[in-house]
Amino acid sequence: MTSARNNILSKLKSQVKDADYSKLPAEQGFNYPQQSFSEQLEQFITHLENNHAQIIKLTRAEIGKVITQELAARNITSLLYGDNSQYTQDIEQSDSSITLNKYSFDFAQHKERLFNDTPAGVTGSRCAIAQTGSIVLWPTPDEPRTLSLVPPVHFVIVDAKTLYPSFGDLIEQQQWADKLPTNAVLVSGPSKTADIQQTLAYGAHGPKELIVLLLNS
Amino acid sequence: MSVDQVNPNDESKYAASARAFRDNVSRDLANDELRSNFRGAMDYLVDKRKTALSDSDELETLREQCKLIKQRCLVKLPHLLEALEEKLTANGIKVHWAETITEANEIIAEIIESKNGKTVVKGKSMVSEETALNDHLESRDIECLESDMGEYIVQLAKEHPSHIIMPAIHQNKKQVADLFAKNIEGFEHTTDVDALIQQGRNVLRDKFCNADVGVSGVNFAVAETGTLCLVENEGNGRMCTTVPDLHIAITGIEKVVEHLSDVPPLLSLLTRSATGQAISTYFNMISHPRQQDEKDGPGEVHLVLLDNGRSQMYSDDELRQTLQCIRCGACMNHCPVYTRIGGHAYGTVYPGPIGKIVSPHMLGLEATTNLPTASSLCGACGEVCPVKIPIPKLLLRLRQESVKPKGAPQVMKGQGSGRKTSEAFIWSVWSMIHKQPLFYRTSMWFATRLRFLMPKKLGAWTVARSAPKLAPKTLHERIKEREQAAKGK
Ligand code: SF4
Repeated sequence: MTSARNNILSKLKSQVKDADYSKLPAEQGFNYPQQSFSEQLEQFITHLENNHAQIIKLTRAEIGKVITQELAARNITSLLYGDNSQYTQDIEQSDSSITLNKYSFDFAQHKERLFNDTPAGVTGSRCAIAQTGSIVLWPTPDEPRTLSLVPPVHFVIVDAKTLYPSFGDLIEQQQWADKLPTNAVLVSGPSKTADIQQTLAYGAHGPKELIVLLLNS
Repeated sequence: MSVDQVNPNDESKYAASARAFRDNVSRDLANDELRSNFRGAMDYLVDKRKTALSDSDELETLREQCKLIKQRCLVKLPHLLEALEEKLTANGIKVHWAETITEANEIIAEIIESKNGKTVVKGKSMVSEETALNDHLESRDIECLESDMGEYIVQLAKEHPSHIIMPAIHQNKKQVADLFAKNIEGFEHTTDVDALIQQGRNVLRDKFCNADVGVSGVNFAVAETGTLCLVENEGNGRMCTTVPDLHIAITGIEKVVEHLSDVPPLLSLLTRSATGQAISTYFNMISHPRQQDEKDGPGEVHLVLLDNGRSQMYSDDELRQTLQCIRCGACMNHCPVYTRIGGHAYGTVYPGPIGKIVSPHMLGLEATTNLPTASSLCGACGEVCPVKIPIPKLLLRLRQESVKPKGAPQVMKGQGSGRKTSEAFIWSVWSMIHKQPLFYRTSMWFATRLRFLMPKKLGAWTVARSAPKLAPKTLHERIKEREQAAKGK
């Protein structure tokens, strides 16, 4: 379809031949008031809770215990988790009543199992955003994309130290423009829809529950 | 397939339904259930937006910023498209270009067939509605399933979306329950929304697991990084772009932005204007197909860039502003006409104010000549638009285009098609009279003296109004009389 390409581009180019980019007006963003860390954390938690996520504050040493409790409360006995990732060893501290399955397989060969036989998954996170209550997932070969998407319950471990005021600040400070991964996702609650008569329902396609394990020391 | 084989005049199925606008309006205005569904939904959305954008300083600063971002990206559009193509290609994503809807459908069908794909799951994509992709794929024996809950409902009902953000807004839960009962095997009857969604979820999860191909739209395509950004709440967009081994995205050429840093302000106004959310549940950024040693994600990712009338909008400085649109739907939520007639009456893919300004470029002014006139020009749409598109002004401009005389410079397809000889004649007489004082005074004198000849019925005007009555004397006469009386005192 090179001719379609050329036709479109030449039509567009003929319209802006003389455009002078230096004459473009200056763009001004809104200056949000500075907030202390605790205000930001509060904002982060409030947004997530309003969006129906469950927040549990804990220390790193408690990860295994809390996961065990939360799974037991839901009558879930197995958990899918990532290999070699930041919190792998902490997750492995969970009770022996939980069957721990490592995501050490190729998705295509185990689709059915992931869709039908995996009630819960746990991932870490890269960072978080206070202004919108968002958690940044940055999937890796160790914690693949489907680990946070297919299981109906998603535990996500967030370190409060990685909180940024806004998405704009985050992109700038971490220089995202230089290198983005295959997929990055901002998650701000469990999956939801209001497509039937504007009535909110959770668990449309993605996880029905988002349980945020918030490390705040 | 080469372009020569494609018939660029292949008319969209929406042209015929847009021509039937007036009949559609009468039909839908008479439907009380439909009207109450829309009223309820619009009140809800207007309220949500208002709460989310309560700080007017912030709102106006962001609107101005977002307008300027979009205008910058449009001035640079051809270069950004080239940069985007280069970046995406370097990232391993294949880029295709289509001038017409037929070309776009053809490209997508060929990619799917080359991989022996038989089943497609679709995330929400209005551009694929524009091309009527589902119809095309079905005609080639490729099963195509909508996976956004609203789109799924609309597909089961064999309809098209009535709103660009909430496709099934015209149906209430009882209607959805009846629809599911007819179409989902083993459906347990309920009008509880949670239970309805769960049953829809179960059907669709199965499809996600087994589909060969995922098709999605794009909200922003970032030239700087070669990234496709998708805004959604349900997770079906993530499913479509993650689970099947082949992902095909389709979008209009105006969706490209220059920098990654352009995204946060646009995203913030998009979700808040659309549904009053600070951000959508998921903001999905895709920059590569599956890399070596990654365990999931599609092995192939394609992007189809569609023109379909957009380069025509681009060719006129005023009409170009149409391309600033980020498809938030706020203009329809606030439109008194849309709220009353609903989304299907327009007959077009994009309903409401935005539909009235884009559809004439996509379908031609001949098929859509009534749309720009279906507005009271109250200005609500322009006031809420997050990128400050002067929609009322563009409606006036399109009205002018539709009655332009033959031989005027070519601006758009179908221009002048609303021109009526009788109307043109009346206006030329009107203008002649108004240019000549003697003519004007004489004709006004006669008009006031012969006012008893004024008919009581004036066609459509008097269906819901009484006919205007001329005054017994002209204003000029009365002022003169008053001045004389004052002098006489
Ligand atoms: S025209 Fe403006 S308000 Fe309407 S959908 Fe587009 S961006 Fe939103």
